[in-house]
Amino acid sequence: MGSYATTVEWAEKIMLVEARGLTKAYEGREVLKDINLTVQEAEFFTVVGPSGSGKTTLLRLIDLLEQPSRGRVIFNDVEVGDSERERHALRRRISMVFQQTVLLNSSVYDNVAYPLKIRNQTGNTIYRKVQETLELVGLKEFEKRKATTLSGGEMQRVALAQAIIYEPELLLLDEPTVNLDPRNVTIIENVISHVNKNLKMTVIMATHNMLQAEQLADRVAILKEGELAGIGHAEEIFGKPSDFLASFARLNNVFSGVSHVDEEGLAKIDIDGLKLEATITRTGKVTLFIRPEDIILSTSPIASSARNTFRGKIIEATDLNRNVQVKVDVGKVFVATITRRSFQEMQLNLGSEVYLTFKASAVHAV
Amino acid sequence: MNPILEGLVKALWLLVSLDPEVYSIMFLSLRVSGIAVIIGAALSIPCGATIALRDFRGKRFLMSIINTLMGLPPVVVGLLVYLLLSTSGPLGPFQLLYTPTAMIIAQLIMVVPIIIGVTVSAVSAVDKGIREKVLSMGATGWQLTVTILREAKIGLLTALIVSFGAAISEVGAVMIVGGNIRWITRVLTTAIVFETELGEFGIALALGIILLLLAFIINWVLTQLQWSGLRR
Amino acid sequence: MTVARVKPETRLTVSITILVVLVAGGVLAVSYEYYHWRPMQYMILATTTSTYDSGLLDYLIPVFESKYNIQVRILSKGTGESIEIAKRGDVDVVLVHAKTLEEAFVNEGYGVHRVGVMYNDFIVIGPKNDPAGIKGITNATTAFHKIVETGNQGRAIFISRADRSGTNAKELEIWTKINVKPSNKTYSWYLEAGAGMGTVLRMTNEKQAYTLTDRGTWVAFRDQLKNLEVLVEKDIILLNPYGVIPVNPQKYPQRNYKAAVAFAKFLISEERQRLIADFKKEGETLFFPMARDFGKATQLGFPNQAQEVAWYDTQDPLALQSTPFVTIAELSAFHNLEVNFSPSLICSWDGM
Repeated sequence: MGSYATTVEWAEKIMLVEARGLTKAYEGREVLKDINLTVQEAEFFTVVGPSGSGKTTLLRLIDLLEQPSRGRVIFNDVEVGDSERERHALRRRISMVFQQTVLLNSSVYDNVAYPLKIRNQTGNTIYRKVQETLELVGLKEFEKRKATTLSGGEMQRVALAQAIIYEPELLLLDEPTVNLDPRNVTIIENVISHVNKNLKMTVIMATHNMLQAEQLADRVAILKEGELAGIGHAEEIFGKPSDFLASFARLNNVFSGVSHVDEEGLAKIDIDGLKLEATITRTGKVTLFIRPEDIILSTSPIASSARNTFRGKIIEATDLNRNVQVKVDVGKVFVATITRRSFQEMQLNLGSEVYLTFKASAVHAV
Repeated sequence: MNPILEGLVKALWLLVSLDPEVYSIMFLSLRVSGIAVIIGAALSIPCGATIALRDFRGKRFLMSIINTLMGLPPVVVGLLVYLLLSTSGPLGPFQLLYTPTAMIIAQLIMVVPIIIGVTVSAVSAVDKGIREKVLSMGATGWQLTVTILREAKIGLLTALIVSFGAAISEVGAVMIVGGNIRWITRVLTTAIVFETELGEFGIALALGIILLLLAFIINWVLTQLQWSGLRR
Repeated sequence: MTVARVKPETRLTVSITILVVLVAGGVLAVSYEYYHWRPMQYMILATTTSTYDSGLLDYLIPVFESKYNIQVRILSKGTGESIEIAKRGDVDVVLVHAKTLEEAFVNEGYGVHRVGVMYNDFIVIGPKNDPAGIKGITNATTAFHKIVETGNQGRAIFISRADRSGTNAKELEIWTKINVKPSNKTYSWYLEAGAGMGTVLRMTNEKQAYTLTDRGTWVAFRDQLKNLEVLVEKDIILLNPYGVIPVNPQKYPQRNYKAAVAFAKFLISEERQRLIADFKKEGETLFFPMARDFGKATQLGFPNQAQEVAWYDTQDPLALQSTPFVTIAELSAFHNLEVNFSPSLICSWDGM
């Protein structure tokens, strides 16, 4: 176990990111307790957990913004020392996208060019790279715009551009898409996935959006109150969601089953006896998800183009402001969300007999 | 209304006729206050930035002292500097009294607390997140400081504008350490006092108008710098 | 405003250009000053505001400057301040009119070879309606006495400069003679202005009050003072002698003693004394030469006048102990009495 004491320019590529016994305490309160995990080169690693579980702290420690109270961050089997020079040299090869976007008070171009400017790159190189990166995040025409006048999603994309333009070996993201509209979320997720799969950037992302974690990650770690409450491949973790996972994740209407795609390209999935039709292309074991908003409730069966119709009884109804979340047992328990008005007009109640209808395209494979 | 009109006319005439005495006085005013502010900024901005960016014991106390010094009457500064530079004073051998250098020193002392105070305020107002963001992008400590200063540009230029205004319009300090000697240490403000004493209100007002004009031009220039590149 | 419609980039360019121009102008001015003034020897003279404001020095000094190729820097302050800064060695010579302060100055070892130059006189001025009825009284102390009486009756106000100036000193001298210790606390009609002569004159005019002033400033300002006129004059106590005192080189060897001596010698020389007598403002002679009138000088508080004048007459300033300011250049310059000082820089406000 050597130390970096003599090397400032750390030549070897970061292959392995390891946290060993990582502990962090603020004013006596331990926010992270003895975390041990390893991230491989070019892996997409996500850290999930409820707010306050220590995800942000973990990322900050790995980004070398703070020092752990105990334990070490280790890159390539070499512990990160205390010297500021060493930490600075490493930080140059890591980047982080923060939850709260903060941009410099200048143009988008200046913001994205900034990391290259501080690396003393030439004007032409910078110009080319900025163009490429802006195009990647879909902000091609935004160069001259003042960064602080952009929408939340646009600003976060600028932050992402800043993070990847200098081709870091490790990209850290702290809940990058929280509170963003779906379009921006998609763009950002695509970019992150692209840099990970095609540019081989190691990614560690913290999120409390399970769908996102499932879709993007290779491996997942679950943090609960500063401790590791599970770590493994995405399919393991989400295939059999633990109670804890279910407790803080929006895990409604998640079912596992076996899919069989017929000649017309329509998939028939058997989930413990219940037969669903979906437009997914996967075969074999699948995990399915249907958004509660996509389920239509009716008191009598409706003739429609929707492929899936089931009959069941309401076993639970929860008031959610303008909507009502209804749990219906049709052999498997489905959660549907309807407006309160509809609930009242249909005169629904516990025990009411209802029909669930949803399209094949509403069935997502995760 | 009469003296004021007379003043306006005289001001125009003095400027247009390139009266050498007036121009000498004008340029001396600009020179003394300008140099005081430039040197003051060079000293105070790093100082203020450091205070703003670090946390240390006694920080609030230090800020109270600086804020109090901002209100230090220029005439008191002038008196203190006079005692310092006087032949009988500790810096007597340098014979700096009654020279523009003495005036610059006095205005420098007056201007430093102002610039420090406003700089601390401006730098503190920069979002704390910028610091970590910039560090995480791999900036060195020095690059971080420069970036934060650029983010605080508006506030920093306010410091320059305010302190220049205070310097060019003060009369107490430059009177005592400069002596209002004709051609040597007479600036706009002391010339105004002098002409007023003589009862030459027209000329005094004219000089006052010229002073305002100068201050306006400088402020306009500084304001352009302040908001450059930040329009849209 | 049309400026707003100019593009920001243009405005920025314009501002930077202005800045560059100003800086260039400043640098030019500095180099000019450095080139022109630096090599020149200079002498700092501390005098009173009334002396300076009378214009006598603007009349005399250029002759001195060109004759000796020296730059005279004049500090015009109140008598108190002039003496104070001289005591601290910040000036080379003082020209004031305050006998007691001057004597103390010499006795305490700060000044040497004090010699009387000229005298002017003070006058008591007051409102045209003259409630105290002092017009034409030849005795100043009597006049003051009447002012006290009328003041106590609430019909008169007296404004004092109250700033330790020569004028103030003379005023207090008269009060002492009639055993009055004037202050605003004891006499509500006695106002202590703490200001220069010009300001006090204007105040006196506004309030239609009485005050003591030197004739020179009165003559300069009387057009602005419509409510006032001269009421008491020519009493001997109202005569105001001016003494010139070089600063003691033993105490402050850094000072330009040679120039100070040359200046004093200049003032008391026969030619200049005549020049002083010729100096008139609005047809009135303000200053009366007395350097060579030993009797008068003694009477007015210069008992050693004869000896001092004799001393000066025998002095060759250049033969004196040299100060740090002497250069070979000026040594030769002194002997070339025709060297002229650049006249364009001595123009005054007269044109206005």
